[in-house]
Amino acid sequence: MNDRPAPRRRFAEGTTVADLEAYMVPFVRHLGFKLNTEREFAHEVLQSEIEILDRDGDVYCPCRVRTGDPKEDIKIICPCIPFYLEQFNAMRKCWCGLFIREDVLDGAEMMGVIEEPEGPIEVRAAHVEDIAASRGLRVKIGKREIALFRTGNEVFALSNLCRHAFGPLSEGYVEGYEVMCPWHGWRYDIRTGHTDHPNADVQTHPVTVRDGVVFVTVPKPTE
Amino acid sequence: MDVKLYALSTCPYCRMTKRFLEEAGVEYELTEVDLLEGADKQAAIDEVKSISGGTSFPVLVAGDEVIVGFNKQRIKDVLGT
Ligand code: SF4
Ligand code: FES
Repeated sequence: MNDRPAPRRRFAEGTTVADLEAYMVPFVRHLGFKLNTEREFAHEVLQSEIEILDRDGDVYCPCRVRTGDPKEDIKIICPCIPFYLEQFNAMRKCWCGLFIREDVLDGAEMMGVIEEPEGPIEVRAAHVEDIAASRGLRVKIGKREIALFRTGNEVFALSNLCRHAFGPLSEGYVEGYEVMCPWHGWRYDIRTGHTDHPNADVQTHPVTVRDGVVFVTVPKPTE
Repeated sequence: MDVKLYALSTCPYCRMTKRFLEEAGVEYELTEVDLLEGADKQAAIDEVKSISGGTSFPVLVAGDEVIVGFNKQRIKDVLGT
């Protein structure tokens, strides 16, 4: 018999700033973000979310307005980072500044400013160890599906979609610098995206690895 | 110059912007969009969308300039404070 009391739900009545922090921080860490180092400010944002939770029934973003369109409104339930991954990586913080990119040492510098820098954006995509040597790893960056491959210490990023019939290259068979599409065997060079079929190369993206973390550079999203 | 601020009552950057404008002695017209209801709220949301292209706050309109977020330097430049 299991007579332990049911654990309290985190968003039940009486939710505290600490509850929200404990719920959100472990998730955003997987996306390469952390709580703003300006703790007082971060807690002010979370306090606003609690007021919104009481008023509107969920932790909607304090800096954006619910339009009443459910499809839009689900994208502003905190943390909304996955919906705006490219944009927030470019800004190096989430819209409200509750979360900042892991590599930002001092969140105070960028408080308030909501502007996207120009040019391509480097996005944290995975840990090197997450990429099996024999298989690729599929990651999503914004709307892009990207296949990461690793041979030894080298990591490569290419579009995940085979140009034949959109087979997932990340699930293909890797031999040396070649991946074979799992569906019908088209081959691609993982360094260049070149294939033997005419006019069917896939796009590649620059990759950097720092401290075991893989960063992929993607063009700025055109909205 | 006419200064208008679209804000949310819940948004930290909006509070910072209000504080900043008040301290600088700037007169401005304030719309707290989340406190409006029904048709007024919808109208205000549509206005913000047409001005800024989004629904993120704060949106400060000063003459022809539109500033989204609490960008202190830009606000200073535009208002000459
Ligand atoms: S912008 Fe930041 S605070 Fe607002 S919902 Fe997204 S993650 Fe949460
Ligand atoms: S979909 Fe890749 S070979 Fe057919």
